[in-house]
Amino acid sequence: MNLFSLALRNLQRRKGRTILTIIGVAIAVAILFSLLSFSAGYERELTKEMDSLGFHLLAVPKGCPYEATTLILHGGVIPKYLTTEDLARTRATEGVKTAAPVLLQQFVKDGTPHIVYGIEPDAMIPLKPAWKVNGRFFTANETHVMVIGSTLAEKENLVPGSVIPFGPAQEPFTVIGVLKPTGSEDDNFHFLPLADAQRVFSKEGFITAIAVRADDVKNIHDITVELEKVPDIQVVTMAQVTGTIMNLVGSARSLLFSVIVIAIVISAAGITNTLLMSVNERTREIGMMKAIGASGHHIGILLITETLLITLSGGTIGIIAAMAGSGIIETFVRGMVPYAPSGSFFSSDPLLIGGCLVFSIGLGLLCGLYPAWKSARLSPMEAIRGEWE
Amino acid sequence: MSIIEATGICKTYHRGREEVCALKGVDLSIEPGEFVSIVGPSGAGKTALMNILGCLDAPSCGTLMIDGVQVTGKGEAELVKIRRDHIGFVFQQFFLIPTLTVGENVGLPLIFSGIPYDRARIDSLLDKVGLSHRAGHLPGQLSGGEMQRVAIARALVNKPRILLADEPTGNLDSVTADGIYGLFDDLHRQGITVIVVTHNRELAQRAGRVITIRDGCVERECGYPHVSP
Ligand SMILES: Nc1ncnc2c1ncn2[C@@H]1O[C@H](COP(=O)(O)OP(=O)(O)OP(=O)(O)O)[C@@H](O)[C@H]1O
Ligand SMILES: [Mg+2]
Repeated sequence: MNLFSLALRNLQRRKGRTILTIIGVAIAVAILFSLLSFSAGYERELTKEMDSLGFHLLAVPKGCPYEATTLILHGGVIPKYLTTEDLARTRATEGVKTAAPVLLQQFVKDGTPHIVYGIEPDAMIPLKPAWKVNGRFFTANETHVMVIGSTLAEKENLVPGSVIPFGPAQEPFTVIGVLKPTGSEDDNFHFLPLADAQRVFSKEGFITAIAVRADDVKNIHDITVELEKVPDIQVVTMAQVTGTIMNLVGSARSLLFSVIVIAIVISAAGITNTLLMSVNERTREIGMMKAIGASGHHIGILLITETLLITLSGGTIGIIAAMAGSGIIETFVRGMVPYAPSGSFFSSDPLLIGGCLVFSIGLGLLCGLYPAWKSARLSPMEAIRGEWE
Repeated sequence: MSIIEATGICKTYHRGREEVCALKGVDLSIEPGEFVSIVGPSGAGKTALMNILGCLDAPSCGTLMIDGVQVTGKGEAELVKIRRDHIGFVFQQFFLIPTLTVGENVGLPLIFSGIPYDRARIDSLLDKVGLSHRAGHLPGQLSGGEMQRVAIARALVNKPRILLADEPTGNLDSVTADGIYGLFDDLHRQGITVIVVTHNRELAQRAGRVITIRDGCVERECGYPHVSP
């Protein structure tokens, strides 16, 4: 027997009330844990996804930054073009490691839009380490060949070797490769050698955008400044794209944040109320304990221990529940945010688990302090008479 | 030397603006090992006196010495130690903790006194009150008299020299009450100073000394074994 086991036994007196209070804490901590885990995980996954794009910035025609952003994320068409000359200047800029030109075209077949990427394989493939191809990739000078994304291949029933009519002139094109699934938008695209794409769509000498990889991330800023000196070019960095998305997510996050604040306040009021009730019921018993040798200190510690047992077990249950239910919560969150990276947001980061447990302790101390202080300073005589107020 | 020496004890309670004088100058001297009954009509001030003797409440005037140590004017921290080391309390309502077993209830004061939890001592006390076979039971499974015996064992676990009991038999039938008094008598024979408040004059006579309190004063003493100074 010690103060701790006495506290445990006291909690068994009104089991229903104790369990309800623990559930209240568990809900609040579960929401808190999910929100914090989401916040950290979302930004991490978004950054990872941006990194996997393989380039640091995108040179686009002036006046189209939003289209460019969409283009990066979903594929899309910009009504203005850069030229081969712009590509040459980009390649000549200091700090640029790779500059991969892209021509994007869209056409509609059987009511569904298709997106065509004209690329230089030598420049683009190094930017896409995730690309693995069934069949083979084309070289820069080939014509009438294409590589397609896995989703597209499945939808259209195409395999390496299939020949399809393609482009405004319905020329026969051979599918020479199918990309293995990448989990990104690439799975929906047609990839052609840049020169052949320019020829098919009569865009000789034109480029939609240039994807640039710097030799060092430190040089991204200098490259941006240098490229924007070119009259046609506007630069969109991945950091800007991430920032824009994070701003949009921020509003969803503040909504969730107000939910958690309310949940915590409700659960704190519940805990304090439970404690005050249980202390009130036990006023005479507290007087008895003081009469048989307990100091105010002992009584205070006993009550704080009871509170911490409630909040810590609630916190632990909340964290476990949040981790177990993270799949459901994630589906819900994905529906709420403007852009969802493909990786999972939720992680069982030990630091976050520790933080939530510390929060549970803090909540217990906060709620337990007043009832504990009040019972600790009760005079034994008044307490035995049952005078709580 | 007296184990309890009270001189000129007054106690005034404030009920809103009204003042209630519960004790009006009580002088009392109790020797080690005495068995004392305190009797008197309701509202006479018996509980007020017991609370002061037990250091649960401070007198408004007068002085109290316990075991030669001046108690009046001491801070709560020191009063806690005096209660813990010198005094055992028994209450009318038993005040057993329902989720602790009988044995654990008896050991409760050890948690606060810092003495290692001593099962052998608890068992011997339960044996003394005739309940060694109920150590693992919960208080809810006991009769009123048995519960009060547990409370008495609890009051003794810190080895106090003084046992204070305010109407310990108030909730018990007369046969059971008689048994409790028998127990007090045993303790008195073992050298413990026992002071018991009761409404039952017949039971009170079993003590060696009966003090009657009326209207805040010591009215009469019977069997006073010592000559007043
Ligand atoms: N905390 C208090 N506040 C106000 N008045 C009090 C308080 N305690 C006792 N009194 C008053 O002091 C007087 C003496 O009370 P006390 O409880 O000592 O009587 P008692 O002799 O123990 O009576 P009983 O036999 O009914 O228990 C009563 O008039 C009571 O109303
Ligand atoms: Mg009384």
